[in-house]
Amino acid sequence: MIRHKQPHIVICNTLCGLILLLTAPFFSIATEHSPTWQTIVNNGSNKPVYFHAWGGDPQINIYIQWLSEQVRQRYNIELHHIKLTDTSEAVSRVLAEKSAGNYDEGKVDLIWINGANFAVMAQNGLLAPNWAQSLPNFALTNPDKNPAVTLDFGVPTQGMESPWGQAALTFYYDSRAMSAPPYSLAELLTWSAQHQGRFTYPKPPDFIGVSFLKYALIGLTPESLKHLLYQPATEQSATLLLPTLWRYLDALHPNLWRKGRYFVNNSTALRRLMGDTELSLALTFSAPEVPAAVQRYDLPTSIRSYAMHDGSLSNTHFVAIPYNASHINGAKLVANFMLSIDAQAKKQQPHIWGDRTVLDLSLLSEHQAHLFTQPNPHPSSLISTVQSPALAEPHPSWVKVINHGWLMRYGAKGQ
Amino acid sequence: MFNPNNVFTKVITLSPALLLALLILPVIGGLVGVLLPAFSYIPALGEIGLSMKGFSALINTAGFSDMVRLSISSAFISTLLAFSINLLLVAAYFTSPWLNRIQRLLGPVLVIPHAAAAIAISFLITPSGMIARLFSPWLSGWQSPADWLLPHDPWGISMILGLTLKELPFLLLMTLAALAQTDLATNLRAQHKMALSLGYSPVTAFFKVVLPNLYPFLRLPVLAVLAYASANVEVPLILGPNAPPTLAVAIMNWFNDVDLTLRIKASAGAIIQLLLTIGLLIVWWCGEKIIKRITQLSLVNGTRNYADKGITWFVHLLTTVIVSCVLLSLVGLILWSFAGYWRFPESLPDQLVLMHWQSAFSHMQTPIMNTLLIGFIATLAAIVLTLFTLEAEQQRGYTLSRFATIVIYLPMLIPSIAFLFGLVWFQEQINSQHALFNVIFSHLLFVVPYVFLSLANSYRRLDPRFMNLAASLGATPTKVFWQIKLPMLATPICIACALGLAVSFSQYLPTLLNGGGRINTLTTEAVALASGASRRVSAVYALVQMLLPALAFALAWFIPKLLIQNQHKGNHA
Amino acid sequence: MHSLAIKHLTIWQQSTPLISLDETIQGGDILSVMGPSGSGKSTLLNWLTGMLPATFHAQGQLYLGQQELTHTASHSRRLGLLYQDALLFPHLSVAGNIAFAMPKTTRKQRTDKIHHALDQVGLKGFENRSPASLSGGQQARVALLRVLLSEPKAILLDEPFSKLDSQLRHEIRELVFAQIREHKLPAIMVTHDCVDAQAAQGKIVNLGTQEYNHA
Repeated sequence: MIRHKQPHIVICNTLCGLILLLTAPFFSIATEHSPTWQTIVNNGSNKPVYFHAWGGDPQINIYIQWLSEQVRQRYNIELHHIKLTDTSEAVSRVLAEKSAGNYDEGKVDLIWINGANFAVMAQNGLLAPNWAQSLPNFALTNPDKNPAVTLDFGVPTQGMESPWGQAALTFYYDSRAMSAPPYSLAELLTWSAQHQGRFTYPKPPDFIGVSFLKYALIGLTPESLKHLLYQPATEQSATLLLPTLWRYLDALHPNLWRKGRYFVNNSTALRRLMGDTELSLALTFSAPEVPAAVQRYDLPTSIRSYAMHDGSLSNTHFVAIPYNASHINGAKLVANFMLSIDAQAKKQQPHIWGDRTVLDLSLLSEHQAHLFTQPNPHPSSLISTVQSPALAEPHPSWVKVINHGWLMRYGAKGQ
Repeated sequence: MFNPNNVFTKVITLSPALLLALLILPVIGGLVGVLLPAFSYIPALGEIGLSMKGFSALINTAGFSDMVRLSISSAFISTLLAFSINLLLVAAYFTSPWLNRIQRLLGPVLVIPHAAAAIAISFLITPSGMIARLFSPWLSGWQSPADWLLPHDPWGISMILGLTLKELPFLLLMTLAALAQTDLATNLRAQHKMALSLGYSPVTAFFKVVLPNLYPFLRLPVLAVLAYASANVEVPLILGPNAPPTLAVAIMNWFNDVDLTLRIKASAGAIIQLLLTIGLLIVWWCGEKIIKRITQLSLVNGTRNYADKGITWFVHLLTTVIVSCVLLSLVGLILWSFAGYWRFPESLPDQLVLMHWQSAFSHMQTPIMNTLLIGFIATLAAIVLTLFTLEAEQQRGYTLSRFATIVIYLPMLIPSIAFLFGLVWFQEQINSQHALFNVIFSHLLFVVPYVFLSLANSYRRLDPRFMNLAASLGATPTKVFWQIKLPMLATPICIACALGLAVSFSQYLPTLLNGGGRINTLTTEAVALASGASRRVSAVYALVQMLLPALAFALAWFIPKLLIQNQHKGNHA
Repeated sequence: MHSLAIKHLTIWQQSTPLISLDETIQGGDILSVMGPSGSGKSTLLNWLTGMLPATFHAQGQLYLGQQELTHTASHSRRLGLLYQDALLFPHLSVAGNIAFAMPKTTRKQRTDKIHHALDQVGLKGFENRSPASLSGGQQARVALLRVLLSEPKAILLDEPFSKLDSQLRHEIRELVFAQIREHKLPAIMVTHDCVDAQAAQGKIVNLGTQEYNHA
């Protein structure tokens, strides 16, 4: 039995389905059969839903295809995957619709989103608010104990997005080139001095590159000042915190691949250099990518994955519904199904996608939890025996500050 | 009364104007479209005052002077190298059958898109590449790849290497094409023989007697190579440095940045790029004049031999190195596309698998369909326009004006990055939303010059007596065009088609920009994958990218033969 | 039967007069035009066929019988052309070349006519051969048939025999002249060979000196 706690009183807009939701707090148990949810099911079924999601990974695209088959069977919803090369395309689309006066017939029903794009949409009132917590399956994420599902890069989601999956910064190394990898920022510096030219990170503004810098910044910032990272960056806080990072990089860069004079443009290039054995250590945000690449011969069999002992930068990715979506109810049904045990368990399978679930497995029955375990882990995949504290993403405004500073200091160091 | 003849004649009469308009309007429109934002005039961003702040932002960009220096040096050195090697090859093998053999060996490189060639070369020279593997560990002692700076070196050496190897076959083909014009070739060869009989050694005779008369035919190709090298983005993206990159790459990044205000800086950059390219062309042209003047006296100084033996040996060595580089990079690509685990420094993979081809092909259908669709439509349009224009020329009885000829070759000489962004802006203004149409249209701009260049000679040199004869037999101009000229030109038309397709297949920037990133072709995918995770999948894409134009040329060779055979069978009167 | 008349013709190259001519050729007669290269022989032919390049301009009229052709389009003049090269269209078969020239008839009539004509000149069964597979003499004969079967109103010969060796030359010359006379076509032959001109048994005009001779 699923206990559905309703943490907030839902403030509703004009939609009748949501008005009915006002009654939800009076029921101590909300199941898929509750009348409010039933209304959404009734209104959302038998209609199309346009899901705007980054389409750059064939594995993920196939998973979304599976999703659309499932919602067709369950709700007769025709789920169209609009493949974006960049999520900002959908953001500007909604923005354009708003400036054209289209307030209720938007073409975008559901967006895969997080971080800066979410912050922009939320700021401009482009997202439907206060619906995520009303999804029956949302309770499975145990939101009270798991703030990661209601905070997007430090910004409260306020029910505008429903969590879909999460990722943590994972390192991988070539076990034939070293006996033990570095487990902390400090160790990384000494290791890189011993293994000249065997590590690098992608050039900002690449996501992985910036993530490495954020991990370094969090690790280098004293506990007493860490709270500054979770507030909007100011000139003052930047001048206070960033110099430590630059000092660290100044020391690290001469030991990097190409002596830090050339940085690859993206994280996939890192993986290729690992495959070429030019690098012995690299990082990624999607851990299952590593064993998958080994199976495709793109990485040698001697590759091992691990998490840094001084913490792993973690973030959650979400789905959101634009305020003017044509099929809001259908989008909710899809978002709810994405949080179902079936969908989440399948998504976590390394050969499907390998994206970590947002559900709290302790709330599930043994049988249900078992669906999430992998029978025979690949030797190159991440083994979660070592505890690595999750490091929350700093406030999104830090990204721009870090990028700018990095490009000014290292962006044009050709010769 | 409706008269198909008159309609056809009207269409023919109008086509030169149409062709010129089609080329000149987008280029001019595109240039205006970057000129205005360059001076901070972008109404959409609320910028309407004219100012120089784009240029000052540009000059204050970290590494700006390095970008300019890199663009200039890589373009100039690679063009000079390709041109010199081309001359040395032709000089050393002028009277030898090896000239055609080398052309046949290097010819396939010609049809390879720049992106694929750059990928092949990066596979060759990368620290874990074929060259390093061949010499490791027995010679180099390397157990793991050395941390050397190729590719992506800050001096642009890898880029220069890539551009030189790619442009050399083009220049060689152009030289041989000039030498294939019977009247010119007979004269030049006779003059060369004459010089030999006067005691000049072959290489010296070539430089003193042949080159001065041959060079006018090479000027346009060389300038096109120089312009391309100074402003292209795919070779620097794959082989060049990124801290800082070349000017063209930096401009592209600024244009594509989410921060729209960067467009002002990007437009200013495009103007600088345009000036830079024009400057290079002028420098080359002046250099040509100066060299001509300086060497005037030495031409007649009576020296019959300038270390010819040494030069010949050097050319033998050079040819061997170049041909082995080309072959080795091809072998490398093929091996990677089938490679299982392949740890450095082993020179062969542990196992060969089909997996990479299978997985690539499962994702490749849309890019291939797009590539073919765009290529076919753009080429067809270019061929029709070119044929009609050439026909109009013959019906009017005089050749195109010098101005018109320059316009046709304009897209070869003006850096595409300078007007494509303006063209995109232009297309946005006239609200042309259809990405596929926009891409095809932009491809047309680059396909037309090459199709025209390859067709014009054959068309103009078609024996006019055939046409007189057909007319005297009562055939209308329409009938002559369709039933005499086109069939007689089947071979050159097919070759022009193949060339047009190859040019379209290789376009990167127009596809990316005019399609708003929504139209994926093999080339855009290959460039994206070149910096991507899998060497193996990247190799598959590069090989398919090579195979498509090769297939087009094979068909161009085969179809005319088939046509002639069929016609002889089918012509039972 | 028509006559071909060139009336008060003057052709200028820029402002220099190149040719002036005033001749009438009766059906079956052959006017031979001689002269060194550069004397304007091919210019005259270009004017006759209506393909004078823009660098020349001409004054004078061309009549076929009573019909003026001076401003008629090339393809409507119906003046048959024979060059020194056979110039068979390489992409068409022998029959195709001839059929291309013939006025529109049924396929059967066309086939019969071509068959008959080929038979007459000793090329029986050559219909489907490709031009490239023919000898020089065979090509010349096909070229002649092609002109004749196009049913021209007059014939223009441009150095027609100069590429043939002497044995063949005699044979083809007789064949061509005989056919012209048989079809009673007025003909103009441009040549630099006195023997050809003599054999034509008609008036000879020398463009270089503008002398008029009779054979």
